[in-house]
Amino acid sequence: MSVRKRIDGWRWAGRVFLTLLLIFTVLPMFWMILTSVKSQFAAMQYPPQWWPAEPTLQNYVKLLDVTNRVGREFLLYFWNSLYVSTATTILGVAVAVPAAYAFSRFRFPGRTFLFFAVLLRNMFPAVVFLMPLFLLMRWMGLVGTHAALILTYLTFGLPLSIWLLKGFYDNIPVQLEQAARIDGATRFQAFLLIVMPLSMPGIIATAIFSFIGAWNEYVYAATFINDQDRMTLPVGIQRFFAEFATDWPGLMAATFLMSVPVVVMFLVLQKYFVKALTEGAVKA
Amino acid sequence: MTEALSDRGPLPTMTARPEGLLRQIVRHRHDYLYVLPSLIVMLIVIAYPIYYTIELSFYRTPPNLQMRDKIWTGLDNYGTVLSSASFRAVTLNTLIWTVASTGIAFVLGVCAALSLHREFAGRGMLRALLLIPYVVSAVAASYVWKWLYHSDFGVFGAMSVAVGLTDRPINFIDNIYTVLPSLIVVNIWREFSFAMIMIMAGLQTVPEQLLRAAQVDGANAWQRFWHVTAPHLAGVSMVTVLLLMVANFNSFIIPWIMTGGGPAGASDIWITQIYQIAFGRQRWGVASAYAVILFIVLMGLGYFYVKALTRGDRGRAE
Repeated sequence: MSVRKRIDGWRWAGRVFLTLLLIFTVLPMFWMILTSVKSQFAAMQYPPQWWPAEPTLQNYVKLLDVTNRVGREFLLYFWNSLYVSTATTILGVAVAVPAAYAFSRFRFPGRTFLFFAVLLRNMFPAVVFLMPLFLLMRWMGLVGTHAALILTYLTFGLPLSIWLLKGFYDNIPVQLEQAARIDGATRFQAFLLIVMPLSMPGIIATAIFSFIGAWNEYVYAATFINDQDRMTLPVGIQRFFAEFATDWPGLMAATFLMSVPVVVMFLVLQKYFVKALTEGAVKA
Repeated sequence: MTEALSDRGPLPTMTARPEGLLRQIVRHRHDYLYVLPSLIVMLIVIAYPIYYTIELSFYRTPPNLQMRDKIWTGLDNYGTVLSSASFRAVTLNTLIWTVASTGIAFVLGVCAALSLHREFAGRGMLRALLLIPYVVSAVAASYVWKWLYHSDFGVFGAMSVAVGLTDRPINFIDNIYTVLPSLIVVNIWREFSFAMIMIMAGLQTVPEQLLRAAQVDGANAWQRFWHVTAPHLAGVSMVTVLLLMVANFNSFIIPWIMTGGGPAGASDIWITQIYQIAFGRQRWGVASAYAVILFIVLMGLGYFYVKALTRGDRGRAE
C-alpha cells in the first residue's frame, strides 16, 4: 500500500515539474506572438495589455510587402538565408556521405586519429576561427560573398554530419554489400545502390542539422558580409533592430517569421532530428 | 545493431598488424579517396586557422590588418591578457556562466527526461514543444528575451508587480547584479531540452527486466533510479555535460546581442572579450593570445570528451 502511494507521489511530482517546465518554455514564445499582433502603441504600455485589445496583422503585412522598403529588405534577407542554407546542406551531405562511409567501413591507418580530429572541431568556438578565416577569405577574395559563408558553414557542419552518418552506416549490415559484390557489383556500385538508399534516414537527419545550423548562424554572417543586399536573416534582423530601435512588435513579427521555417522543418522531421541528436552519444 | 557490430568483431588495433605503416597506407590508398574531400575542406578551414592564430599570438599586428607589417613580440601578448585589469572578473564570469548554465540545464533535462519516460497522452507533443527553443536561432531567442526583460514594458517586470513581488518593474539586464543570472536563464531556456533528449535516449538503454527485478526485491522508486537507472546513464551523461560545457564556454550570441558584455563588463565572458579586442579594438595579436589560452582550456575538456566517447566504444565491443 505504502509503495503504491510513493510511486504516485513521484508521478505527481513529474507532472507538476513538466507543467512548470512547459510554462517556462512556452511563455516567451507566446509573448513574442502576442506582441507581434499589437500595434506599437499597444505594445509600449505599462502595465502591459496582457491580451491584445485590438489585434492587428499590420506588422506581418509590412514585413511581407515587397512595395515597402522594410518588406523588400526582409524578404531579401530571407531569400539569402534560404540560398546559403540550402547550398550548405546539399554540399555538406555530398562531402560527408563518402567520408562517413569510409570511417564506418574501412580500416585504414590514421582512421581513428582522423575521426577524433573531426570531432575535435566541435570543441573550438566560432569566434576563435573568425580572425584567421576572415584573413583567409580576404586573401581568396571571398569576403562579402555567399561563398565565404557556405564554405565556412560546410566545415562547421561536417564533423557532426560525419559523426551522425557513421552511426547510421554502422547499423547497415556489411553482409548486404558483400552479397551485392558477389553478384558482381563494384564496391562503388554496392555503396550507391545498396547502402545509399538504406541510409536515407541518416541523410535526412544530417541535412536537417546542416540546414538549421546554417539558417541560425550569426557570427560569421555578421563578419563576412558587409553588403546589405547579401545579409542573411540573423544579421539583417539585428540591422532592423538598430534602425527601428523601438519597434518591438515589428521585431517580434520578424523573429517569428524567421523561426517559422526551422520550427516547421523540425516538427515535420522530428523523428530524424531527435535520432540525429542522440545517435552518436548514446551508442558510442 | 549490436549484433551487426559484433559480427565484425572488435576494431583491429594498429599494433595487431605486423605490416609496415607505409605499406598499409599504400594498400588502403583508395579508402582515402572517400575522406579526401572532407579532409581538404577541413585542412583549409580548421588546421590553417588554428596555426595562424597561434602564429599571430606572438606578434603585434597593425590595426589596418596588413599582416606584412606585424612585429614579433614574443610572449608579450600573453602578458597583456593575463595581467589586464578585467581578466579576473571576466574569467569569473565565464566560470559562473559555464558551470551554472551546464549544471542547471543538465538537471532540468534529467528531470524532464525521467518525467517523460513513462508513456502518456500528448507525450510526443510535449517533447516537441520543449525542443522548440533548441531549434530556433539564438539571435531570435536573444531579442525575444530582451523584450521580455525590457525595463519599462517587459512582461516579467510587469508580472512581478502584478503578483506583488516588487512594487516597480525589475531592471533585469541593466543591473550589474542581475544581468548574468538573467542571461543564464535565457541560455538554460535554449539548451535544457538538449540534455533532455540525450537522457531520454539513454533511458531506453536501461533494461526493463533489471528495473522489474529491483522492484520485486523491494527497491523503492529512488533506489531503483539510483542503483539501476543512474549507472546506465553515466556514459551519456558524461558526453552530454561535456558537450553542454563546450557549447557554453563558446557561446557568444546571447551575451553579445542582449548586452554586448555590459553593463560595466558584468556579463562579459572570454568569447565576447576576444571578439571585442579583435574586431572592436583591432588588436588581433592580443586577441589571438587570448584565443590560444581558450584553446588550451578547451583541449583539456576535449581530452575528457574523447575519453568519455572511447570508453563507450570499448563498452560496445564487449
